[in-house]
This record gives sequence, C-alpha cells and structure tokens, in this order.
Amino acid sequence: MRLRIEPLKCICCGLCETVCSLNKDYVLTPMTSSIILHMEDKANYFGLVLKTKSEGLLVARPEGTSTGQQAAGSGGPGAKPILLREPCDLCGGSPKCSRICPTKCITVEG
Amino acid sequence: MYLRNGKIGVYDLATKELEAQELSEEDNFQSLKVAERLAVELGPDPLVLGTGVLTASFVPAACAGFVWANGGFMPILGHAGVELKFSGFDFVVIKGRGNRPGYLWIRDGMIEFVEPEGMAALDSWKRTDKVRADQGDGKIQVLSVGPWGDHSNAASQVVVNYWGGEDKVGMGAEFGKRNLAAVAFRGMGELELKEPEKHFEDAVLLMSEHVQKLGKSEGIGSYSEVAKRDDFRKLFHRAVACYGCPHPCRSYLKVSEDPGEFRLMAKEPGYLHYDIPALAKAFDMGFDAKDATLAIMKCAKAGAEPVSVLSALSSPNQGAIDALLSKPSDVKNVRAANFESSFKDVGDYRSAVGLGICPRYWAKAGYDFQAVVAYAESALDVKPL
Repeated sequence: MRLRIEPLKCICCGLCETVCSLNKDYVLTPMTSSIILHMEDKANYFGLVLKTKSEGLLVARPEGTSTGQQAAGSGGPGAKPILLREPCDLCGGSPKCSRICPTKCITVEG
Repeated sequence: MYLRNGKIGVYDLATKELEAQELSEEDNFQSLKVAERLAVELGPDPLVLGTGVLTASFVPAACAGFVWANGGFMPILGHAGVELKFSGFDFVVIKGRGNRPGYLWIRDGMIEFVEPEGMAALDSWKRTDKVRADQGDGKIQVLSVGPWGDHSNAASQVVVNYWGGEDKVGMGAEFGKRNLAAVAFRGMGELELKEPEKHFEDAVLLMSEHVQKLGKSEGIGSYSEVAKRDDFRKLFHRAVACYGCPHPCRSYLKVSEDPGEFRLMAKEPGYLHYDIPALAKAFDMGFDAKDATLAIMKCAKAGAEPVSVLSALSSPNQGAIDALLSKPSDVKNVRAANFESSFKDVGDYRSAVGLGICPRYWAKAGYDFQAVVAYAESALDVKPL
C-alpha cells in the first residue's frame, strides 16, 4: 500500500499538511506533517513533497513525480525541513490526506 | 482553548514594545467585535489583525483572517489567515507609528518591527520578496503595500503576498500612515481540537457533500460571468485554492508564457485573479483579458486599488495605466465591493469572516451561521453567544 500523488490535480488547499499533523500529534500544526506543500506563488508553481518509509522523498511537482530526492521543497530553512520529520505511516491503513483531499490528487494504491 | 492560542499581542510601533494579553473564551465567536473592543480599549486608532475561531480548522474554506482599522475591515485569505493563527496570536493590535518605513514580523509568539534600508523604494511584490529572502522562508505570508499605501492615498490597497482583491476599504492608507510597509507572519504553532477524530470525519463528510453539490471548479469563472470570456479562458493556467477550499475562486492567467506550461520557467509569468469588480471594470473599459491582467498586476505592484485606477482611465491602454499610477492625485477612491458582495446581507459577510471562513465560498455552498457553528462543535466546546 502506498500513496499516489497526481500533482496537476492539486489545487494548493493545504489540507493534507494539517490533517497529517492531526494523525501524528492530535493537534493542528504545519510543523510535523510528513507531507509538505511547496509553492512558488508568483509563478503559480506548486506541488507536494512526501517523506515515505520505503522510497525516501516522493517529490510530486507539475513536471511529474520522482522519488529519492533530497531537500527539494523542504519548506525552506525557516521551517522544519521534511528530512527531520517522521515518515508517512499511512495513518495505520486509512490515510487521512487521501480521504480529505477534495480533488483526489492524493489516492491510495496497492 | 480549542482552536485558539488564547493570546492577543499588543505591539507599539513607536516604542517597539510587545505586551501579551489573554483572550477570553467568551469572545470566541465574536472576532470582529473583539477587534472593535480592542481598538477602543487600546487606542487611539490602532490597527487590529484577527482570526476567526474556525480559522485553520477542517470546516471547508476555513481560511479567513482579517485586518480591522478605523471602523472598516478587509478579509485576509489564501493561506494568510491560517498562517497568522499559527504565529501564536489570535489577534495582534498594532499601535502607534513607526519612525521609518518597515515591516512587522510576527512569528512563534514574537513580534518585532524591522526597518531595513530601502524598503520605501520597493513595490509591493519586491517587499514580499525581500521579507521572504531576509527571513529565509518562502512560505512567509506578507500583507504588503506599495508606494500608494506609503503616501496614504485613499485609493491604495493592501496586497496579500502578490495579489489583490481583499482590500476594498482603503487599508493600504492605514498601513501607510503608520509607516507599515508590510506585515509578515509565519508560525510553528499548535492548535488543539476537542474531538480530533470526529472533527475530521465530519469534515470529510461535509467536504464530500460540497464537492458533489458544487462540481468541478472553473476558478473565478465558477463565481462570476466576468471570467467566462474566450480570451480569459485562453490564458487560463490553473485554479488555486485558499486553505481548505474545495471549490477555488482563484484563476491564474499566464500572460508572458504559454498558459499550458506547467514547468517552472519564468518567475513572474502571470497574475492570480479573484478581484471580480476589477476584472469587470477592465473589460468595461475595453481591455482584453491580457491587458486587463497586466493593468491589474501593475496596480497590485503599486499598491493601487484597480477599480479606482481604471475608473479614472481615459483610454484602455497600458501607457494610460502607467501615467495614472505615477500620478495618484488624478485617481479618486471608488468603493467597489468584492468579497463584501458575496451575500445580500452584510451581516452574513461579517459573521462568516468573523468565524474565519470564506464568505464567497460559503455564499455558494449555502451559509447558515448556526449550522456552521453546530457543525464545528466537534472542534470546540464553547457555544456562541
């Protein structure tokens, strides 16, 4: 079982970030999520970075998705980099990010 | 307190001193009234940043915060309202006037007034860029004014990061008279929920119902006929949502590269439209979608309210826009409602923003104050007054 991200379906709502923290710590915070919304506002360029247990970082950007890359889209040095965060545990089998994502940008496969 | 920091920051721009106050639970559902009360208690003439109790929750489109000053307010949408709440404050009262132009930097329960060299020479976009570069974080949310705001022009506007549409009340002038070139916030805060799992499950259900009811978003075209022109559609790149919104009203148009280009190629290829009256006015004046976009973008950079500028235009060309932007005295302030016109009843507009939810979205999804509050009871334990 793994998360599948289709970045061109993303609308930048950010719910995946906050709902991930809810699963981890029972609070809302942008600092503990395993998934990060990366934005370049002026260019309207955005996508998601997911820290996985088995594949390293899954970087889902408009050009496509790739795995194993370092640091890209970490949220910048002012925030907690994704490499310092816990990897996605798939919420124990029912990933909350995929359930709340309004565009089905994040789905479960496998 | 659930979904609250329980903290009000009171900052004096003149003395650069911060005082923190506790937020009363009784004030939970009355955010605009809290701002008005704080203005009276802590005045004279402060500027108040605020969030709603539902801001950052999983209630659909719970993205709103606001800026209040001198009896008027503008919503702050996108991801700005949520980021303000994560900064550690539910409200921030800004008193006094800075000695020189600078930006207020709010994060993690701290506030400071930063006065960098050359801030006044920058347009609003460059101010946002500078704050993010100086503080090393591209996700910092910036309420920025340009030269028009600096000179307290009544037809100025605050832009949120780079885009305009929220400020139809002359808030840019309120920033300018305080020497506030920008207000920036970012945070690592935590917000507790009463019943986290129930709130999540309720949200999934409601979100699903709304998505089914509203269908696929066409960006601003889902909310206004003004964006259904062919030339507008040809430049359409992508719809963009505010925090938690399943049916975005924001349309990004690319005017300097192929709208179908999704790779990161140009730094400033277009503009994010959600200012319905500005677009309508530009089209009324005879601009096509590309020139309308360029004109509204120039207004955002200058910190000028576009309906006011366009209303003073003699002919629809970019030269005339440039000339007006360099001569603010030729532009009269024209009040044009944007988000304010979401509801027929201004009371609904105030209550939605006060709760922390987007008025435009909820007007379309079906707004009922008591129903929204009842729905949010899984997140909160305080009944509205």
